Amino acid sequence: MSDTPSHGPGRSIMPRWVRGPQDFVGGIALMAIALFAFWASSDLQGMHGFSFGAGTAPRMFAGLLLGLGFAVMVVGVVSEGPHLATYAWRGPLFVSLSILSFAVTIRPLGLVISAFASFVISALGTPETRWKETIIVGICLTIGCSLLFPYALGLPLQLFPRFMVP
Amino acid sequence: MAELFSNLALGFGVAFTPINLLLCLIGALVGTLVGVLPGIGTIATVAMLLPITFGLPPVGALIMLAGIYYGAQYGGSTTSILVNIPGEATSVVTTLDGFQMAKQGRAGPALAIAAIGSFFAGCVATVLIAVLGAPLTKLALAFGPAEYFSLMVLGLIFAVVLAKGSVLKAIAMIVFGLLLSMVGSDIETGASRMAFNIPELADGLGFATVAMGVFGFAEIIRNLDAGAEMDRELVQQKITGLMPTKKDLIDSAPAIVRGTILGSILGILPGGGAVIASFAAYTFEKKIAKDPSRFGRGAIEGVASPESANNAAAQTSFIPLLTLGIPPNAVMALMVGAMTIHGIVPGPQVMQKQPDLVWGMIASMWIGNLMLIIINLPLVGIWVRLLRVPYRLMYPSIVIFCAIGIYSINNAPVDVVLAGAFGLLGYWLIKHDFEPAPLLLGMVLGPLMEENLRRALLISRGDWTVFLTRPLSATLMAIAAFLLVLAVLPSLRKKRDEVFVESET
Repeated sequence: MSDTPSHGPGRSIMPRWVRGPQDFVGGIALMAIALFAFWASSDLQGMHGFSFGAGTAPRMFAGLLLGLGFAVMVVGVVSEGPHLATYAWRGPLFVSLSILSFAVTIRPLGLVISAFASFVISALGTPETRWKETIIVGICLTIGCSLLFPYALGLPLQLFPRFMVP
Repeated sequence: MAELFSNLALGFGVAFTPINLLLCLIGALVGTLVGVLPGIGTIATVAMLLPITFGLPPVGALIMLAGIYYGAQYGGSTTSILVNIPGEATSVVTTLDGFQMAKQGRAGPALAIAAIGSFFAGCVATVLIAVLGAPLTKLALAFGPAEYFSLMVLGLIFAVVLAKGSVLKAIAMIVFGLLLSMVGSDIETGASRMAFNIPELADGLGFATVAMGVFGFAEIIRNLDAGAEMDRELVQQKITGLMPTKKDLIDSAPAIVRGTILGSILGILPGGGAVIASFAAYTFEKKIAKDPSRFGRGAIEGVASPESANNAAAQTSFIPLLTLGIPPNAVMALMVGAMTIHGIVPGPQVMQKQPDLVWGMIASMWIGNLMLIIINLPLVGIWVRLLRVPYRLMYPSIVIFCAIGIYSINNAPVDVVLAGAFGLLGYWLIKHDFEPAPLLLGMVLGPLMEENLRRALLISRGDWTVFLTRPLSATLMAIAAFLLVLAVLPSLRKKRDEVFVESET
């Protein structure tokens, strides 16, 4: 899990008094999440008497997270820490696209088309991909999945597009 | 004592029926197969295979799930040793020395020791469950909401103390997980919380969805930008003799025993579980070793101890589930789901009302372990061939498997999108050195903690001191506080040392 942080970009963006940009930004993000949770649970009922309302526990944990996020941020200011790691764009983009395409197409188009399309899209995530090989493996995998999940495991998955099934 | 033996006899009677033996075998085999695939973890496997157990009788279903669980644990250690890819969070530590051993051509002994250690730990843990099960059930009856809450706090603190890295960040992750667990319907009033009127969120975020996102997808994305084809080709040709030498056995025997003891203890604590047990066992071995510098360079103790520990913990983590009804980790939470589907409510009553079920499962654990050692040692060659598939073909397949797996749990496309989103979140967390494991733990324990906190405060009429005035609860809280102080102190000292080093230079 411990990435050796690269001393790349991000160094120049941060003001000089931030000694550990990784923690600094991480802490701020946690605080943002906590504030978002506060907002999202603001319409829920709070304490009435000594019994909890629906919103008490969410707000309590959001408050805790706010405090902890602040502490992480402070650690980022006062102690020397790693710089921001560099983010790759290719892997995250195509893997996300592939997952998204699966989610969108599985209902209307069925497992066969959906699985193959997602396979090809996620294969775009690395420059090492060789097309011929990818397509062959994709076809084999699709056949394998079509046999494994609906038949061997008995899951109720639709195989083909809806308009082709009577 | 006589009761213990009659219980075990009952259990073996149930587990030794041909159909249950077969189910156990299938479960162990499938679990190993999936555990060997990097990217699909125990949680995902159990979640994916849950539907096929619906048609089985309850005992059979649980026996099979238990088999899957152990299989996945063992499969994870196989990939850790052979290709430096932990198939499982529990075998992350095994990569440190296991892969080094494999590089030196000693993959055979490493694999064998892992299997032997796991089997030994499994035997001890089975006996332990049988011995401790009944008395702990009695203790469970003395537990009120306040005690449950304190116990879970203790479990979470344990997770923090033994996690690597910053204590502060680990606690932050736990709280983040607790917050995520609040999404969905409120247990008491039924009010929809932070669900934004999305119907799929009304039931809350699924463990499997979050787990597959944060562990599965995030790991794939990270591997992609790390340049995935590192040390992979190195090892595969060199697996020669399988059996460890006499010296290996002598070296690793005490480590196996220590790992088993540590693992058994940590497994019982909620929040302990197999992941922490393996980390703790490794750290412990390194601390007491005469020459700690050997670790990370192929020390056999570094394989033996964590592997025994994770198996022991995996098994003893059934104890809190069966006696207190608390799932100590995400897989156990899925087990609760499986039990509920079969109309079994885990908790103190199960032991009394359905003894054949409980003891049958305990006995099947032992059989499952035996099967693992029998089927896996000869199969190592096949697993290795599977791993020769280059990563550029492997990862799209894993993405598809995960996507289908998540979709099939609820037949909900939204779950797949959510898992993708959690994948990106997980990638971000890794980049900022936040550990995802405590987050998941917080998520698992969140609803139970909230429920017991609310109940405890309702009973005490809003008096927060109830956690400190009830003796049992106070003891648990005191241990938790003590552990937290222990964890913070060395890191403070280290920070100070760092500052000193800087000011001197």
